[in-house]
Amino acid sequence: MSVFLEFKKAKRTGLLAAYIAGGMLAAAVPVVNMAVRSEMYLTRQGNPVSILFHANWQMMAMLNILLVTSGTCLLYHIEYADNAIQKVKSLPIWESSVFFGKALLTIMMSAAALAIEAGAIAFCSCYWMEIGKDFWMELCKSFGYAFGLLLPCMILSLLIAQICRNMWVSLGIGVVCTFTATMLPTDRFMPSLFPFAMPFQIFADADRSQIIAFITAAAAELAILVLAELLLLRIRRWFE
Amino acid sequence: MSFISLVSVEFMKIKRSRILFILLAATIILWLPSILNVHLNFGMQAEGISPENNFFIQGFMAMSWFMFPASMVVGTVLLNQTERMNKGIIKMLALPIHSMKLCLAKFMVLLALAAAQILMMAGMYYGSAAVCSAAQDYNFILPPVFVAKEMGLLFLSAIPMTAFFYMLSVSIQTPIFSVGIGLASIVPSVLIINTKLWFAYPMSYPFFVITSEYGKLAANLDTAQITLIPWIPVAIAVTLITLFISCIRFGQAERRE
Repeated sequence: MSVFLEFKKAKRTGLLAAYIAGGMLAAAVPVVNMAVRSEMYLTRQGNPVSILFHANWQMMAMLNILLVTSGTCLLYHIEYADNAIQKVKSLPIWESSVFFGKALLTIMMSAAALAIEAGAIAFCSCYWMEIGKDFWMELCKSFGYAFGLLLPCMILSLLIAQICRNMWVSLGIGVVCTFTATMLPTDRFMPSLFPFAMPFQIFADADRSQIIAFITAAAAELAILVLAELLLLRIRRWFE
Repeated sequence: MSFISLVSVEFMKIKRSRILFILLAATIILWLPSILNVHLNFGMQAEGISPENNFFIQGFMAMSWFMFPASMVVGTVLLNQTERMNKGIIKMLALPIHSMKLCLAKFMVLLALAAAQILMMAGMYYGSAAVCSAAQDYNFILPPVFVAKEMGLLFLSAIPMTAFFYMLSVSIQTPIFSVGIGLASIVPSVLIINTKLWFAYPMSYPFFVITSEYGKLAANLDTAQITLIPWIPVAIAVTLITLFISCIRFGQAERRE
């Protein structure tokens, strides 16, 4: 129910168009890269998904994170801008259900953006390279992994957007977090657990144990963030 | 009302915005890894760059690539939303002042924010260089004239980019697009500085200027150098055109209502 309501609210903000445009922009990265300098990648050994991910994912992940950050900021900005949040609070619904409605909307739209990117990777592989028999499985796994690791980033940035009434503060914090993530080394496990740094991880060529560790960590972070959200709403009610 | 008092009014409006904390947080996060990994600067002799120069320029490069431009996008959101939130823009437009002046006064504030962040960056640089000098028993502190020159270059090269971001925020009413386009345009600047058409892309100017300074400091490194022609005329044209569009579009949507 609330996800439809959230979708209706976001309809005229251009959010859906922004997610599609963001997905297309990130999808353009591998296509342009292959169109301009395909000779750099065609000689490499390995499967197409792995080559394309290693060549482009850094930039694509960054675009995804920025898209999620600005999208979540806007989702709460529309509540705070004209004090609509007060009306929301007076409705006979849990305040947390608004958060989860927005979270679900973000998750669905990010999945759409990632699907566009997956389409671009598939196109590049078919057009410039030869695809093996397990190509589609590898592609699905890679994007499923990317989606799973993007989840904590989505929920955390939504949480930041909920805490800060002013859009520039939440956007500023989101941007600083993204910047921090770019400074962290991706090959070390502990720093990579930072929710904004996790989406930079690549499925292809990673150890099985490492993949399981990251998925477990993402699930744990999600649980902590959801708990933090519930707790935060309680605390905020006491002070209002 | 004189232009200077208009600008000072704009400063008063953002007094409680906490923007300076965000700018400061970014600069602290920038220099912390540099302090922790200071020993790596000694391994850069192969490129022909001294450890102290490397320490300084790597920090400035990290900043000018993403955080500095992104801070300017956040700054435009601040300037825009403080007016639009409670329809303050309507009151502003009702004043007997030319809207072009108001628009430029806001742009001055944005430039001041850029200058503030560069100053914080330099301040944090001196702090962290002092810490590293004490820890490593090696002088990492560079002369202030050199640092000031780099700061000035970074600031000047950021003006066209800032004007472009300002134009986006003034002309596009839906914040997600102005912010989204702004942030997304920063990401490809890494690729664009390697092309011949870098001068047509204002978002890549600050990073290009700092990377070419890196090339000058590192004797064995051959990074692309700035060619003043056609860069300067293009940069001036970009600044003037974007500011002109901003001035025309300023308050246009509100006047229609």
